[in-house]
Amino acid sequence: MNKFRSMSLLLTLMLPVFLTMFLPVRVTGGTLPDIPFDRIEAQARGSRVSWYMYGGWTHVNTWVDTFVAKEMKQRYDIHVKRVPMDAGVFINKLLNEKAAGKTTGTIDLLWINGENFKNAKQAGLLFGPFAGHLPHVKQYVDPDSITHDFGFPVDGFEAPFGRAQFVLEYDTNRTEIPPDTVAALKQWIMDNPGQFTYPQPPDFTGSAFIRHIFYAVTGGHGQYMAGWDPDLYEKNAPLLWDWLNQIKPFLWQKGRTYPKDNAFLDTLFARGEVAFGMSYHPPHAQNMIMAGSYPDTVRTFALKDGSIFNTHFTAIAFNAPNKAGAMVLANFLVSVDAQVSKFQPENWGDFPVLAMNRLTPKDRQRFETVDLGPATLTPDQLAAVAVPEIPAQYLESLEQDWKTHVLDR
Amino acid sequence: MSLIGSRTAILILKLSPLILPFVVLFCGGVFLTVCQSLGIFTPLPHTGGILAAYNIILSDPSFFASFGFSLGVALTSAAGSVAAGTFLAYRVWQLPKALAGAALMYKIPLILPHIAVAFVVLIFWSQSGILSSLAYHLGLIQSMPDFPNVLYSGWGLGMILAYTLKGTPFAMLLILALLVRFDVRQIQTAAMLGASKRCIFFSIVLPRLAPAMHTSFIILFLYSFGAFDIPYILSESRPGMLSLHVFDLYFKHDLARRPEAMAILTLMFCFAVLFIIAYSKTVTHLENGVRKL
Repeated sequence: MNKFRSMSLLLTLMLPVFLTMFLPVRVTGGTLPDIPFDRIEAQARGSRVSWYMYGGWTHVNTWVDTFVAKEMKQRYDIHVKRVPMDAGVFINKLLNEKAAGKTTGTIDLLWINGENFKNAKQAGLLFGPFAGHLPHVKQYVDPDSITHDFGFPVDGFEAPFGRAQFVLEYDTNRTEIPPDTVAALKQWIMDNPGQFTYPQPPDFTGSAFIRHIFYAVTGGHGQYMAGWDPDLYEKNAPLLWDWLNQIKPFLWQKGRTYPKDNAFLDTLFARGEVAFGMSYHPPHAQNMIMAGSYPDTVRTFALKDGSIFNTHFTAIAFNAPNKAGAMVLANFLVSVDAQVSKFQPENWGDFPVLAMNRLTPKDRQRFETVDLGPATLTPDQLAAVAVPEIPAQYLESLEQDWKTHVLDR
Repeated sequence: MSLIGSRTAILILKLSPLILPFVVLFCGGVFLTVCQSLGIFTPLPHTGGILAAYNIILSDPSFFASFGFSLGVALTSAAGSVAAGTFLAYRVWQLPKALAGAALMYKIPLILPHIAVAFVVLIFWSQSGILSSLAYHLGLIQSMPDFPNVLYSGWGLGMILAYTLKGTPFAMLLILALLVRFDVRQIQTAAMLGASKRCIFFSIVLPRLAPAMHTSFIILFLYSFGAFDIPYILSESRPGMLSLHVFDLYFKHDLARRPEAMAILTLMFCFAVLFIIAYSKTVTHLENGVRKL
């Protein structure tokens, strides 16, 4: 009895501690007064910016640590500190900071993807709107191209950073003519059992792959652009599950297991266990060839039925200690110099977000003379089959139901 | 202070350097997990009842499949580690003094992180791995698919292998610590009285080692039941390990689903506590003696 009493006393004593630790505190994000950008640049001079971003690509890390860091130091006297972290993890970090009422955090700029942007914006984790204040965004970017991120309104809470589009990778030594339509791909998979697979949703790449099939077997992407429609989803999703279940027995490991992420699929493809790789980044295969992971004979192709593209963005944390510095960095990333450098395959090969018709002929030429390497499709080839991303709510439902209707069946 | 005895209060005060971090960090974490599983303090406003997340989880057959699978992998690898560890520890203990130093090799897997051991298993056993190419060059197999599909057999063999590699030296360490204090004259006496080697091992040595075996079994079992790193490299998709399922729910799905992740964690935590209680009770009952975990 005594023991019980002392325990309950202890817990009673601890309760206030718990409550102060975990009660959500309303943090009012400061809105941006309309001040000229050079004042913001002056304010950021000599400061440090912590940029949290996915750290799984060595060449991207190197590009940030060398080119971006050097230019930011030279131009604005800003020290860029790159922190590698998965988007899902930093979103949780911000959630905890918000719950603990921490008004000055550690994250300034985030490289964020669409699903996480929706989560972060809904949970009030982002500072903004700020993108409209960035001179380079105003000058070079077509405003219509950055209104939505995965169907979720951006409202100036993100600045554009790059463009990506989904491609499949194959080895010309092994596969002469790639099956570049959804129907041909299905036929190929059935004719060559065990040689195709896709990463397991909710992996970013695997999830994108099943969206391509979703568009193709349900009559195109247009019907989904108006936003979430549960009835439409219920009507159309079974067509996708049918298609995926038909190929399932012919997949790698008979569809009993799937690679956990893109890196795992890369390994299977590099070792020849499967005949196709895939990536949401057109230059990925070229990067892998340069790194010596893929043979020189690897090439890429896009599905003719439609290949999904998206714009990827940077955002600023609601409790960023250095919001001015973050804005200067986000603005620099949209400059012609940064976008050209990022476009070069030896640095990264990520596609520019700038509208070419807004550039001077001289600047436009800088983009046109970039040699993407033999494995990467040209912007024109990609643009010919490009289709937009689906609203995030569809994406979440597809990832969720894939487990029920395909994996666990 | 009239509430509790002053002696207890003093005791609590003396223990506070230990109790405080434990209560604040560990209990705080558990408390928050349970709250979020009920839809309290969630990142996004929770819609649905207080037990909504539990309803979703418990009405999903794949949850039970994952639970059973995690249980199977954990039981097999913990039992295998303890059996192998006991046998090897006994053998090492019997080695002549000159070789005892060399036997310290067994500690190498203890130093390696779990994730490294997972990679070792992956590199050796996958169908495009080291053993497979060795077999190919020796002419034992003609192509990749001829190599036995160890990692994707549907039984979690890859994970069991990795956990056993990590667990065996751990069990050895605990058991050797007991053997060091074991009086060798007991064995000599038994041998002089005509006991066979097998009889000596099972009726004299094993009962002495039981406490360390139980302890290492519980630790290894619960670790492999809930750990994430080895499954992340070696788990198959179906049925996946629970820890991976939680990871996906927590990091890769919509925030609205946070209660589900927390509900699974809460269920796993309750299971672990119940398991320890049930196991200790059973062992005590069997041994009719008092033993400490």
